[in-house]
Amino acid sequence: MMKSSLSALSAACLGLFLGLLACVAMPSEAAAAAKCIKGDRKPPFTIGWADIYSVPTWMKETQGTIEKEVDELKKQGLVSKLVVTDAQGDANTQIQQIQSMIDSNVDAIILIAGSSTAPGRVIADACAKGIAVINFDSLVDTDEVTAKINTDSAQWGASAAKFLVDAIGGKGKILVLNGPAGISVSDDRRKGAEPVLKANPNVTILAETNTAYNVAPAQEAVTNLLFAHPDIDGILSLGGALSAGAVLAFDKQGRAQVPITGENARQFLELWKAKNLKAWATMQPNWLGAFATYAAVQALSGKDVPAFVKIPLPVIDNSNIDQYLAKAKDFPADGYIYSPYDQKLFDELLAQK
Amino acid sequence: MNAIESASLRLYWPAQRQRNRGAGGLLIVVAAFLALYAYLFPGLLSVGGVAKFAQSWLPLAMVSMAQAILMLAGGVSLAIGAMVSLGAVIAATTMAGPLGVAGGAALVMIAGLGVGAACGVIVVRLGLPAIVVTLAASFIVGGAALLILPRPGGTIPAWLSDLLAGDKPVAAWLVIAVVVFWKLYLATPLGLSLYAAGENPDAAYRAGVPVDAARILAYAVSGLLATCAGLFVAAKTGSGDPVIGEAFTLNSIAAAVLGGVGFLGGKGAMRGALAGSLLLSVMINVMYFLGFPPVAHYIAQGLIIIGAVALPEFSARRRAL
Repeated sequence: MMKSSLSALSAACLGLFLGLLACVAMPSEAAAAAKCIKGDRKPPFTIGWADIYSVPTWMKETQGTIEKEVDELKKQGLVSKLVVTDAQGDANTQIQQIQSMIDSNVDAIILIAGSSTAPGRVIADACAKGIAVINFDSLVDTDEVTAKINTDSAQWGASAAKFLVDAIGGKGKILVLNGPAGISVSDDRRKGAEPVLKANPNVTILAETNTAYNVAPAQEAVTNLLFAHPDIDGILSLGGALSAGAVLAFDKQGRAQVPITGENARQFLELWKAKNLKAWATMQPNWLGAFATYAAVQALSGKDVPAFVKIPLPVIDNSNIDQYLAKAKDFPADGYIYSPYDQKLFDELLAQK
Repeated sequence: MNAIESASLRLYWPAQRQRNRGAGGLLIVVAAFLALYAYLFPGLLSVGGVAKFAQSWLPLAMVSMAQAILMLAGGVSLAIGAMVSLGAVIAATTMAGPLGVAGGAALVMIAGLGVGAACGVIVVRLGLPAIVVTLAASFIVGGAALLILPRPGGTIPAWLSDLLAGDKPVAAWLVIAVVVFWKLYLATPLGLSLYAAGENPDAAYRAGVPVDAARILAYAVSGLLATCAGLFVAAKTGSGDPVIGEAFTLNSIAAAVLGGVGFLGGKGAMRGALAGSLLLSVMINVMYFLGFPPVAHYIAQGLIIIGAVALPEFSARRRAL
């Protein structure tokens, strides 16, 4: 008895000691440059933007924010050139293009990963060569990057599920609409929703779908499910334009709309308003691209950049949907209405620990 | 030299010339692109440069061969991409476990041979259209890959990744090894029957060629090449991804067609498919170094593909006139 409490005491002491050691070590680490940065690269910098797929509207809008940010940084003499590649959805091509960026010695690579694992090794190579690597939206598993920037996908799923469970009064039959199978973001959002759904055994999942984050495939999938299920109480849609597809499917089949979750897709927000839906949405901001560009230049300029920057998820509900819709005409009809951003916001996000 | 040997030699070169038709012009285009790439990026002409480029090219080279074998045998496969994914996830889930690298590699090969042969048996013995059977197979195999690894993950031992996709040009040697493997395969009785079985199965059957066996074996070898390409992709990336192969289905067909391999069987040669895959791969890098914006990539890609197919066609017509 005595012996075990003694060993517990010594373990506690050891823990305290290690904790102190970590505290002492921390500030010196923070003062050093960000990861991957060697300090041998001078402005103006060349930025490589390794896009996974340039065609979807969300991507085009994101690229727009990157180009705008690059123009801004060019004016300040910090950036000389933006190099853009498009992997056309193929993770293998993306790896090849990142390799070309390394070969042509760009100063920074910003990327949305086509696979959470596949680009790991080529990114580590870039990092080892002193190239600032900023990964946003679809993240890689490796830590050999300067920074990762994203919202919390698990929280996304959990918040959406909470809204829907409340909206249907804690019981009922629902459909779950997921993004493509085998994609980390899609999987993470679904995993985040799981504990909430588990905690509410009276909520039954009738069916789940896996489609691209576009209106047409989602509408088709939901239409098929409508024939099979006469009673549906809610739709847990986990992103993109899936929600708009579901609302359109209900509408075309003449079914009464049910509570639904979603994202800041303009089409969905407009349908929500027009059909007076009971709905909830959040936002994966397109300015993550602009922010990644800004963070890359900050890191190259010797500033510290946190290894992970968590972007808060806003809530769009009936109280503030009008604010989003007021700006709708500034965005493409099939685009996403993102919140405004400026350098002050970026500095605040980078300063958060 | 006896009479039979000289007769077979007399037949050999015209047959080779026939197979090279279409590939000749392509080889010039490929050489031009390689030279342009080396000019834009001199680092290509180093051991490390060759190593990295060969690593990009090898998986596409292997799947293009996998597709070309079937097309030579009068078939086609829409399951190539799914087979690559399957090979990648099997490798990434077994090699770091108790089976080890050898056991994992064996499983990858067995899966490739097995699934390929199964497709072959269904197509050849049941007489179902290859395009339908392999489309169905792509769903089944793709689903199996997602069952084995529902999301990207798994690991490949670091030493294997470093060996196959490090700074040494091992991938370039593997390309040569695969070509030697292909030549050996063609020297076997069933390999020898491949062209005959593809071009005119009825005549080949009457001439005593084991048509069914040759075609089923072609499907099995094709599956083997595709899953092994998956193994290499897994090693290159250090992990598995259940949808990593998707783009390979179309790219393998594009490479084979670029290389002059016909859809109707027995037309074309493997060297054409290899050259086609090399062009597709080097094109990505050349366009990057030329600084083309992504939209121009799509257009340039289309133009180059049309050009590479049209040039040999035109020159062949002029020769014929």
